[in-house]
Amino acid sequence: MNIPRSITPLQYGMIFILFTYSAPQLAEDRFVLRGFGTLGIARSTTKDAEFVRDLSQPGGIHDQWSHKIDSLLGLQANWQITPELESVAQIVSRYHSDASFQPELMWGFLKFDPDAATRFRLGRLGSEFYMLADSRLVGYSYSTVRPSNDFFGGLPFSYVDGADALLTLPTSDGVLRTKVMAGWARENIPSGDLQFKLNHSLLSGGYFDYQTTLWQWRLSYFQLRLHDESPALPLLNALESTPFPQAHSVATDLSTIDKTVKYFSLGLVYDDGPLQSQLLLSKTCFDTSFFENNRAGSFLVSYQLGAFRPFFGFSWIKSTPKYIDTGLPPMPPLSDLDNAIHMVMRDSHADQHTFTLGGRWDFLDNMALKFQWDGIRGKPNSIWPYRWEIPSWSGHTNIFSLALDFVF
Amino acid sequence: MKSILIFMMLFSLIWGSPGYTGEKLVVVVNAASGVEQLTREQVINIFLGRYRQLPSGVMAQPIDQPYNQHNKALFYKLLVGKELSEINSYWARLVFSGKTKPPQQVTDVSELHELLKNVPGAITYLDIEQVDPQVKVVLNLH
Repeated sequence: MNIPRSITPLQYGMIFILFTYSAPQLAEDRFVLRGFGTLGIARSTTKDAEFVRDLSQPGGIHDQWSHKIDSLLGLQANWQITPELESVAQIVSRYHSDASFQPELMWGFLKFDPDAATRFRLGRLGSEFYMLADSRLVGYSYSTVRPSNDFFGGLPFSYVDGADALLTLPTSDGVLRTKVMAGWARENIPSGDLQFKLNHSLLSGGYFDYQTTLWQWRLSYFQLRLHDESPALPLLNALESTPFPQAHSVATDLSTIDKTVKYFSLGLVYDDGPLQSQLLLSKTCFDTSFFENNRAGSFLVSYQLGAFRPFFGFSWIKSTPKYIDTGLPPMPPLSDLDNAIHMVMRDSHADQHTFTLGGRWDFLDNMALKFQWDGIRGKPNSIWPYRWEIPSWSGHTNIFSLALDFVF
Repeated sequence: MKSILIFMMLFSLIWGSPGYTGEKLVVVVNAASGVEQLTREQVINIFLGRYRQLPSGVMAQPIDQPYNQHNKALFYKLLVGKELSEINSYWARLVFSGKTKPPQQVTDVSELHELLKNVPGAITYLDIEQVDPQVKVVLNLH
């Protein structure tokens, strides 16, 4: 593994102070520089598997406190070119697929608002899986330390290069929105020491969203057309090199090239003054046998008490195993190949649920302090949401988190 | 005694929420906007950036008054029942996803009246006694 090139807490502090004091001077009517960040530490109660924020992270936390998975810093520049045309660029430094905090361009788009009802964007855009925002990285904008790992952990896409269009129609008691988008993914998913390249994979989809004063519901569909082969290519080549036609067929089933991942989700939010609750349900189907299909859900309720917001959540993910028969005879080295194929397939198995309890304290206008406990209760074979698990992994762990979220 | 005072200060800092019992505000627009009244839902759509067009077809330009934190906090409490910290959090969500802009933040009352007078889609909130002929009351909040 690469050695993480992490930003030290001192460097965070310097950058934070620099932009806190320089932003007002840089801000003009048509050009605004803003930022956001999280200083977070978290630890697990096990060292048998590393807990990650999502699968874009090649490694996570175990039984030592670490700032790695949640700490990040983002800067965003908005330039209002004309009343209808705006450009936005956002750079974020976070722990990501290449095991570094190397800053990456998260947004970089032109936005055209010809009227109140329509909006078009072109460039690098957020992949809007999180119902409440394009970005899941702005911790200040939500109650918990991080979006539910069960629900969002398997969605390691933050952005695509493409375009989207949004149509908003007012109704008698709310607004109806329809969004369509398409673009090419540019990120990688780490897999052990290797990388599953999503580069050139086409992500497309959209949603219907209806929001009234108290309720919001959203029905989404996205699909990802995978462009490249998975890191299991050597195993697939080995299957192809055997003289058994059934093994060739399995290699085709396991291939990821030109296979589609379909993602359906339904979200419901009830937001009544201090009370906010949300229920999210999803189903992910893979055309390739390389990954198991899964269903996930997340429920979160929180209540504002002055500057304090306690929250409680429950989430889950469960995948369905896919069975294949390679047809290889039970003798080495072919039986070893058969075992390796089944082991790779089991990597995407998940069967767990999580209880979440915590609080958020808005002690300043632009800062919030959060603490959180996640009790993860799963089967020992639930390994999809983790990194570097070992055979003694029980499927159970507790995650303790502290975070300081800020915007400037 | 000192420790009790410190505890009370901390408690009020964490849990404290200003009381607004009986307080009222009115939502006002530029008198030339062509709008006679707005529903609470329409004002929510405008101030929370969901849909910013007045029924007359004029683009709405919501204005916040950070120089008057009491009225700003009261307005969002009366409109959507939320604290300013929740509103700040809401805007962080939208601003950092490049979706829309928060209401214009004016620095003083003269800038507020200048905008209300000159921008057809200007919309803000006032105490009832601050209303003058240059603006039109479109919603009462209490």
